[in-house]
Amino acid sequence: MTTGDPLALWRSNPFFVLEIATDATPTDVERAGQRLLALLAVGSANVQTYPTPLGPATRDAEQVRQALAALRDPEQRVLHELWASVAPTGGPATDHNNTGVCAGPCAGPWEEAEHALGWSALWAR
Amino acid sequence: MTTRPLYVGIDLGTTNSTVAVFDAEEITLIRNSLGSVLTPSVVRIDARGNVTVGARARRFLDTDPANTRSEFKRLMGTTHQLEFPASGTLRRPEELSAEVLKSLRQDVADQLGVAPERAVVSVPALFELHQTAAASNAAMRAGFERVELIQEPVASAIAAGWTQGGSNGPWLVYDLGGGTFDVSLLETREGLLRVVGHDGDNFLGGRDLDRALMDLAIARLAADGIVIDRANPQHARALRQLRLAAEEAKIELTRASEAPIFIAGLDVDGQVVDVDLIVTRRDYEAAIGPLIDRSLAICTRLLAANGLGDGALERVVLVGGPTVTPLLRERVRAVLGADFGEGLDPMTLVAQGAALFAGTVALDGRPAAKAPPSTGPRVWLQFPAMTSDLTPFVVGKLLEQANTIKQIKITRSDGEWQSDPTPCEADGTFAVMVRLLPRQNTSFEVQGLDSSGQAVTLQPASFSITHGITLGDPPLSRSVGVALADNRVQVYFNRGSPLPIRRTFVLHTVETVHPGTEGHVLKVPIVQGEFAWAHLCRLVGTLEIPSTELSAPLPVGSEVELMLELDRGGQLRAQARIADIDRIFDQVALLMTPQVSLETLADALHKLRTRAADLSRAAFLDRSGKTAARLSAAVPRLDEAEQNIKAARGGDLDAGEQARRILSDFDALLAEIEAEQAWPELGRKIEESFAMAVSWVAGYGNDAERSTLNETYQACKRAFVARDADEVERQRAVIERLGLAAYFRHPGAWEWEFERCAARVGESTDVRRASELVAKGREAVRQRDREAIEQIVRELWVLSPVDHDEQKLGHGSGLRKR
Repeated sequence: MTTGDPLALWRSNPFFVLEIATDATPTDVERAGQRLLALLAVGSANVQTYPTPLGPATRDAEQVRQALAALRDPEQRVLHELWASVAPTGGPATDHNNTGVCAGPCAGPWEEAEHALGWSALWAR
Repeated sequence: MTTRPLYVGIDLGTTNSTVAVFDAEEITLIRNSLGSVLTPSVVRIDARGNVTVGARARRFLDTDPANTRSEFKRLMGTTHQLEFPASGTLRRPEELSAEVLKSLRQDVADQLGVAPERAVVSVPALFELHQTAAASNAAMRAGFERVELIQEPVASAIAAGWTQGGSNGPWLVYDLGGGTFDVSLLETREGLLRVVGHDGDNFLGGRDLDRALMDLAIARLAADGIVIDRANPQHARALRQLRLAAEEAKIELTRASEAPIFIAGLDVDGQVVDVDLIVTRRDYEAAIGPLIDRSLAICTRLLAANGLGDGALERVVLVGGPTVTPLLRERVRAVLGADFGEGLDPMTLVAQGAALFAGTVALDGRPAAKAPPSTGPRVWLQFPAMTSDLTPFVVGKLLEQANTIKQIKITRSDGEWQSDPTPCEADGTFAVMVRLLPRQNTSFEVQGLDSSGQAVTLQPASFSITHGITLGDPPLSRSVGVALADNRVQVYFNRGSPLPIRRTFVLHTVETVHPGTEGHVLKVPIVQGEFAWAHLCRLVGTLEIPSTELSAPLPVGSEVELMLELDRGGQLRAQARIADIDRIFDQVALLMTPQVSLETLADALHKLRTRAADLSRAAFLDRSGKTAARLSAAVPRLDEAEQNIKAARGGDLDAGEQARRILSDFDALLAEIEAEQAWPELGRKIEESFAMAVSWVAGYGNDAERSTLNETYQACKRAFVARDADEVERQRAVIERLGLAAYFRHPGAWEWEFERCAARVGESTDVRRASELVAKGREAVRQRDREAIEQIVRELWVLSPVDHDEQKLGHGSGLRKR
């Protein structure tokens, strides 16, 4: 994550990268990571992007592993939970009952996302 | 050939080596031809060139020491060549390690009928990159076609986690081997084993306990008028005999309250004496106490670094022969306040863990079977060979001839479970969640279903997964970066980063390299360590771009896209891409630690003593009790280095290495203390940077920048109060960047900067090019072309001079950041 880019807090938030909810158990986290790593290894086109409050972002195996490492560390996880939880409403649709996988295709930026995050106000100066 | 997988794990130890195999359910320790699971890491080469390994070789340590070598692991990654005079040969430490590995591989073949082609070999967690590379080379020389390395404490942790099942919470692996000490902090949660951090000392081990006992004996003999001098090569044989006797007494003292050191006919300067000493456990414990304390200080440092206080540990796992020492167990229990993991064999745990790890990464040692005749569409399956998850995913992709397959069905071999038919995606991929049987290896059959629902056999038609533990990515033990020409370090991977890891930075050359100039090389030094200055970090490899491989000049300021990659076992790969000449360079010379003459070491020791004395004096004058205490606690290590230099003069190569390491660590400690003494100066620097930034941001910054500047200044002050030098420098850099960003918005800023560069044109790395730019710049100034001035200034920056003294300290680096 680049500390100089505040947007990165959302764009590369491990919960978004792994497409899981912030209350995912450690087993859910591992399972989601293992599934994504395997799909990326076989070259699945469907998992190369993931939804974020700022629109689809691309991911690779390196990012998935970094996300897994971040969520395995309880201290780091708390921080990422915080950032993910203050994301604007209408966040990534996840099917929490099953695999933690994004239910729909990656859409464009969520409506009003930038406004809700305060970016337009910040960067319009 | 065995029908079950053959996962091979090898603990290549300093004193003994062990091999274990795992068949996805059971771990078996392999016995050597003498029936032991421990093979001494000893190699003998006789006059006919015959190589003997293990206990048979060990017998000759006393009678034919010149042709029998032990403890070469401590010299791995150095340029030392060990001589075998009877056969007239020289062997490097990694070649001798290869002989031990070859012997262990043969033991597997003898016991199981299969010579493994792939294996996992353990290395100490604090092995540096060149030592790791030496271990890997040794395995390849031993006949393995593929080898994965695992850090020893991680291996111990896997074995302990496998054996002891589902405990949750933090625990510590205390691994005191023959020559190295590793301590790792781990955590298990829901079957996930995670290495939180590790620490250690590459030059502390059972051998040092032997040495302490030997010193005790030498002192007793001296009192009787028999003087044995470590520095005297004539005494080498007597010292060896004494050491073997001390080793036996050490083992005896783990059970008895006293033990004899008996040597019949010890020859010292022509005087033959019978040594008959009794050492009490109390004397022995007094001698080894400081060594145990040294190891415990490392443990508490690791716990403190991870915010763990007293009583936080759930248990401690002891690994390594020396951990049977009663005093050690007592002190470890008292200081760490946790129970020991029971039922774990400290001597073979690492090998068992390495074998289990081979299972988690599916590194089957059996020679690859010939592909069976194709009977169906091929499918590429991805699944964890071992996992703590009872319902993991199996992911796959249908390959050629697979377009008739519409769905996938997976059936457990016991027939008790099968998946629903799962549709394949348009690109042939699928993901199916399977259900494992707890704590065992579960086999599955995979089938395709065509559009009519007819089953189609796939290749492969089956696979298996073991339910056990999931291993989190191991963390990097020391930061890795690239030394720059200004002696700073561009950090690539911070300590604790999960492995494997890869990063790329764009750097710039500081000088022009002309093609074909003999001996002219652009150096990219790769360093390991936690210091901001390259000369304090260890040089572990160099990527070289030789002028002989260039077809056109590589001008100063050329962009070098430099990628570093570390695999899970800590093996390094580096690649430099130079877009201007469309070339990629990837030959990293992994350095051997160069041999340093004993005179150089003695000189360094003298200088460090003087520097330490000056710093102590300054600390007393400043009434800085903490610094004075730190120094006085560290100074005995210089005495230790002095003893080691003496022993090295007597022919003990390992002692020389140990002295080098102590002096280098001491140098770093003094640098740290010097930086602390310059603390008030750092405070002044912060104020200067802030004052400068405020004046520019107030006039030319925006509200966001003003608020960020204020927050950064507060953060910088907080770090200053907390005496966190790295954080202070990080925040100060942000303050300076904010100030500079605002400064360059001033209409005259680029012109001022141009004049500053123009005034120093004679010092540029390419004066001709810089002069041309200055001439162009003058024209742009006349025409008030601000964009052109900015562009020219940026180009002049690239040509700014290099301080050659700094560059020399920076291991001769040819790169810098823009």
